[in-house]
Amino acid sequence: MTGVAGTRVWPGHRRLPPLLTAAAVLVSVVVLLPLVFLVVQAVQVGWSQLHQLLFRHLTAMLVWHTVALVVVVMLLCVVVGTLAAWFVERTDLPCRRLFAILVVIPLGIPDFVVSFGWRGVFPSIGGFWAAVLVMTLAVYPLVFLPVAASLRAADPAQEEVARSLGLGRLRTFWTVTVGQARMAIFGGAILVGLVVLAEFGAFEILGYQTLTTEIYSEFQVGFNEPAACALSLILVLLGGLLLASEDTVRGRGRTSRVGAGAARPIRPVALGRARLPALAGAALLVMLALGVPVGAIIYLIIQGGNSTLPPASLLIATVNTFGYAAAAGVVATVAALPIALLSVRFPRRRVIALQRTNMLVLAVPGLVIALSFTYVTEQFLQGRFYQTSPLLVLAYAIMFFPLALVSVRAAVARSPVGLEEVGRSLGVRRRSVLWRVTLPLIAPGLGAAFALVFLETATELTATLVLHPTNVETLATQFWAYQENLSYGQAAPYAGVMVLIAAVPGYVLGRWFDRQPERATVPAASVSAVRGFELAAGKAA
Amino acid sequence: MKDLRISGVAKSFGPQRVLRGVDLAVPHGSFTAILGASGSGKTTLLRIVAGFERPDEGEVSLGDELVDDAASTFVPSERRRIGYVPQEGALFPHLSVGRNVGFGLARDAGRAARVDELLELVGLSGYRRRYPHQLSGGQQQRVALARALAIEPEIVLLDEPFSSLDASMRAAVRADVLGVLRTSGTTSILVTHDQDEALSMADQVAVLRHGVIAQLDTPSALYGRPGDAELAQFLGESNLLEGEVRDGVATTSLGRLPVGAWAGPSEGGRARVMVRPEQIALGDVATGALEGTVASYEYFGHDAVVRVRTGPDGLPDLVVRVNGWTPLPLGHRVGLIVLGSVVAWPTGPLGAASPSE
Repeated sequence: MTGVAGTRVWPGHRRLPPLLTAAAVLVSVVVLLPLVFLVVQAVQVGWSQLHQLLFRHLTAMLVWHTVALVVVVMLLCVVVGTLAAWFVERTDLPCRRLFAILVVIPLGIPDFVVSFGWRGVFPSIGGFWAAVLVMTLAVYPLVFLPVAASLRAADPAQEEVARSLGLGRLRTFWTVTVGQARMAIFGGAILVGLVVLAEFGAFEILGYQTLTTEIYSEFQVGFNEPAACALSLILVLLGGLLLASEDTVRGRGRTSRVGAGAARPIRPVALGRARLPALAGAALLVMLALGVPVGAIIYLIIQGGNSTLPPASLLIATVNTFGYAAAAGVVATVAALPIALLSVRFPRRRVIALQRTNMLVLAVPGLVIALSFTYVTEQFLQGRFYQTSPLLVLAYAIMFFPLALVSVRAAVARSPVGLEEVGRSLGVRRRSVLWRVTLPLIAPGLGAAFALVFLETATELTATLVLHPTNVETLATQFWAYQENLSYGQAAPYAGVMVLIAAVPGYVLGRWFDRQPERATVPAASVSAVRGFELAAGKAA
Repeated sequence: MKDLRISGVAKSFGPQRVLRGVDLAVPHGSFTAILGASGSGKTTLLRIVAGFERPDEGEVSLGDELVDDAASTFVPSERRRIGYVPQEGALFPHLSVGRNVGFGLARDAGRAARVDELLELVGLSGYRRRYPHQLSGGQQQRVALARALAIEPEIVLLDEPFSSLDASMRAAVRADVLGVLRTSGTTSILVTHDQDEALSMADQVAVLRHGVIAQLDTPSALYGRPGDAELAQFLGESNLLEGEVRDGVATTSLGRLPVGAWAGPSEGGRARVMVRPEQIALGDVATGALEGTVASYEYFGHDAVVRVRTGPDGLPDLVVRVNGWTPLPLGHRVGLIVLGSVVAWPTGPLGAASPSE
């Protein structure tokens, strides 16, 4: 690919293009609707009732449960993810290429399936430590991926210089290596926190009560909407705090590399006698994170093989899931395009602010989005649209919009504006240049955005349970129905198909994980995905 | 082919005034180089001509047509017919060479033939189906040129097109490009920070400095008679001496030198005198107007640069370019003679102390 140095913006134009701007504003408004709905609902409930609901013993207990879990899982994921990344990227661990792939796959397995698998193997587990174990094993790749990428991209010369300046190996590791990866570690940890905050299915299966499980039962079982609303407010507030802390810290850290010299391949650290224990540790991690859930599902399928399993309903659920996932992927990707184009080509302060408000959705769990939609359709639309496919697709598209936006934005940012200018100087009009130059160039990014949203939608449980049309079953809803009846053998095939759908592309994403050191959060995961698809498409840089 | 006229063009980015009123006329069929240090605003000027950027003040005209007046008149770049060859070529990576070249051509029967013709012009006949990543940097540059020429442009703009090439390829690609442009008879503007490139390729060179055109001249006039000492230094190495000019002769530490260009009063005055390194010849101590010792000797193959110390009193060493056939040992005593006439700029009236003393 020909590199073009220089600007990425269209500086010749003083005014924002009206159509593009209108589209971007419209999309942002729709994406922020759930938050607006939540506030509307809270206002309707009224402060006195909210006050009562918020300041009671149950709330304090739920917040404590949730926060303790979030903090402990974040810490454990940092330790596990960073160590795994270091061993895989920087040491002579045997079979480290294989481990680099194996340790990422658990990211593709839905958290509630991991928890289901553990429950299948150890029927008696439950409570706080079980939740910690399951969530850590399910989401540590969110730390592993960006840290591994940043270690791969970091300049090995810095470590060599530190050694030459008299620092020992351990201090070099701590000050230089961890220092280089600190933004990636922190970004990954924030993402872990957001995922744990939003998780519902895994805790329900393990019988551990958190804000999400209580919101769900207040709403689905107790029909107590005001209580669900009050707890949702807390959940969104906690998510907002995590996002804000990520924002403040990112502003400070900068990894830099002077000069553009080609990175030398990093000479791995010789583990020596620690090689075998390290290998055992890596194998144990893969065993726990991948072996147990996958093994349990296979075991349960075989066990339940004689029980009557209607393969037709499995097929129908798979088709429905694919349909929803594809629709959500298309909607989110197309919706991301105007904001991505505008924010990269016209990086005015207001445009950037508009783009960033869309990221607020990261702090809103799917359950809260689903509830706010339910509330609005009930209150203002007499129940129209409630539990219809379009509304469900819209909810998915909003939930996973940040993933699509980041992927598309990264692709637009890497397609140089110089090429568009050349196109125009050759006498081709701007709209035509968009079709003939810009879109073909960012096609891999659009593909990545679609794939990410597709994957997340296919394994989404909570919003699906609330919003799916009553006569349309998906893999997640069928799985959940059987699981709730304790028909584990019948639930297992649905879990198996979800793992297959998610883990295979998850493997591809992880494999091509990119070398982008400083962008470490969702951004990193999806930026890498963009690169991955690009590489896969044979356009290696 | 049309002339290009730029008058009073100014452009700021935030508080930074990049262009402060540039006037430049480019006659049709000519090759003009815009030479400036990095950050001098030369690329901005080019982008304004191409229509990628709008000036804050001033006018740009192509022939009789005003294409930008910094106000209501603005012809977008797709209607200017200006071929643009950016740095590193900027070929469309997803299109083959043939499709890159044909990008600006209408889809009709003539397109394929025209593409072949252009590829032949740039010496890449067999490369139609290749993709940009399969080409060397020089080949990419030539495809970019063919693509720009495809639309039969009024003017071709070249934005530092050779800076990303290896030094070993640069001269050859430069010669190729110049040949193609001369053959096609297109008006060309080259932006560069490399004075060798500007001097060797262009019919006229405009030096852009502090946001204005400091001097517009033919290469030889610019090198031989730069407008001031700073320009002299920018265009190549030079020795600047203090002296006095009287009756067309400069009296300096290098002896009495005929003055070729003098911008001061007719009765003469104190002056700063420029002597190019290749104007000084080294010989025996006895034959020189001045003697000195070799302080350093840098050998470049095609020539060598000697720094000669002429006095103990803190005078800067004189830079002399010699052919390098016989190395000169450090400390060797030599005599110096100046060949040809020199350029002098007034620094004050005769008799008065010069500012540097």
